[in-house]
Amino acid sequence: MANTMLELTGIHKSFGENQVLRGIDLIVDKGEVVAILGPSGSGKSTMLRCINHLETIDKGDIKIKNQTLAENGIYVDEKKQREVLSATGMVFQQFNLFPHMTVIENLIEAPIYVKKISRDEAIKTAESLLEKVGLSEVRDRYPARLSGGQQQRVAIARALAMMPDILLFDEPTSALDPELTGEVLKTMRELAAEHMTMIVVTHEMAFAREAASRVIFMAGGVIVEENNPKDFFNNPKEERTKLFLRNML
Amino acid sequence: MEKFLNMTVLIFQGAGVTLEIFFITLILALPIGALAALGRLSKIKPLSLLMEFYVWIMRGTPLMLQLLFVYFALPVVGLRLPDIAAALLAFTLNYAAYFAEIFRAGLQAIPRGQFEASKVLGLSHWHTMKRIVFPQVLRIVLPPISNETINLVKDTSLIYILAMNDLLRVARTIVQREFDMTPFLIAAIFYLAMTAVLTWAFKKLEAHYGKYDA
Repeated sequence: MANTMLELTGIHKSFGENQVLRGIDLIVDKGEVVAILGPSGSGKSTMLRCINHLETIDKGDIKIKNQTLAENGIYVDEKKQREVLSATGMVFQQFNLFPHMTVIENLIEAPIYVKKISRDEAIKTAESLLEKVGLSEVRDRYPARLSGGQQQRVAIARALAMMPDILLFDEPTSALDPELTGEVLKTMRELAAEHMTMIVVTHEMAFAREAASRVIFMAGGVIVEENNPKDFFNNPKEERTKLFLRNML
Repeated sequence: MEKFLNMTVLIFQGAGVTLEIFFITLILALPIGALAALGRLSKIKPLSLLMEFYVWIMRGTPLMLQLLFVYFALPVVGLRLPDIAAALLAFTLNYAAYFAEIFRAGLQAIPRGQFEASKVLGLSHWHTMKRIVFPQVLRIVLPPISNETINLVKDTSLIYILAMNDLLRVARTIVQREFDMTPFLIAAIFYLAMTAVLTWAFKKLEAHYGKYDA
């Protein structure tokens, strides 16, 4: 229990008439790398966005590091939400870097203003994170001058600068040219090897197979199947999983 | 030559009134326009509708009519403003409405991802607006704001009908008295010079706030 990072119970979410999530239960432990696969429209991105309240759930409970974010679909007050959500970080499909700030400014903005870390210390942390993702040389460039792959690695570094306990990835390589996905996946593999807790919505089968500790397959707003990557890819149990894998591989 | 110098001095005094209207209108209308845009995009429905109504009125009637209304109609209901204040009221309300529409478009052009990234990083709403959204909006709105500002230079000449001695009125008075067209030429040069200065200044601003473009 002490190692539980995330607990979703009975999550329901609709957009108007459209029921996107119909009862999601998920427990993620510290250090797990959970890959979430599924056809488009299966609700996988919505589920991820529900975890950090980019979407509001209709029903269910969300607990992050054993702290309640929502119970029976009712959220805790805003101050408490901030506190609970500070354990999470997110990497978006479209990177969402701040275009008017240089790379280093992107990295230090939140640590300085949210974590109240001194500027010097924030810069020092940011520089070491840039080194980690192999981008020290773009420190003072604006995002528009970077390739997509570089932008996404900066976005990962920006998320890490807030020292989250769980990192959420929403199709982090889907907006990239195929030859640029490799560098982003390499950074993500390195994080996985360091036992960062990660939940990754992705279409990258190779990443799910090699870097994930668990694979979850979603369809029609529910979790259809989950297993360790080896068994998931070699012996899928459900028909829908088999069909999906046949189409993807 | 002496006559020419005298004319120029008189016209420059008129230019003082023109500049006063121009700068005060700009300084008041920009923040009011920004607030009106926020009101227009507010989730509070009555506020949003009120702002939409305000913009409709101000953009839907001639500025000349608005000037006449403030100057002649308001005193009828007991609100008599000094000349310059009346002109400033009409100009400010009119230009703030145009600026509001420009700011609204600028705000709506900011991708949702910028708000989401800010939220995920824990930035407060106010901080997000101030540090993330506003600088990007500024970049987007500078060209249309520049356009409106140059319009304002020329629109100041409308106060001519309120019998205030602005640049154009002084020029016309001299023309009528001396039967000499030179004052019109001097006035034209003044408007052109001011527009040139503004064009240059906005170009500088656009370069400064656009330095992050690829």
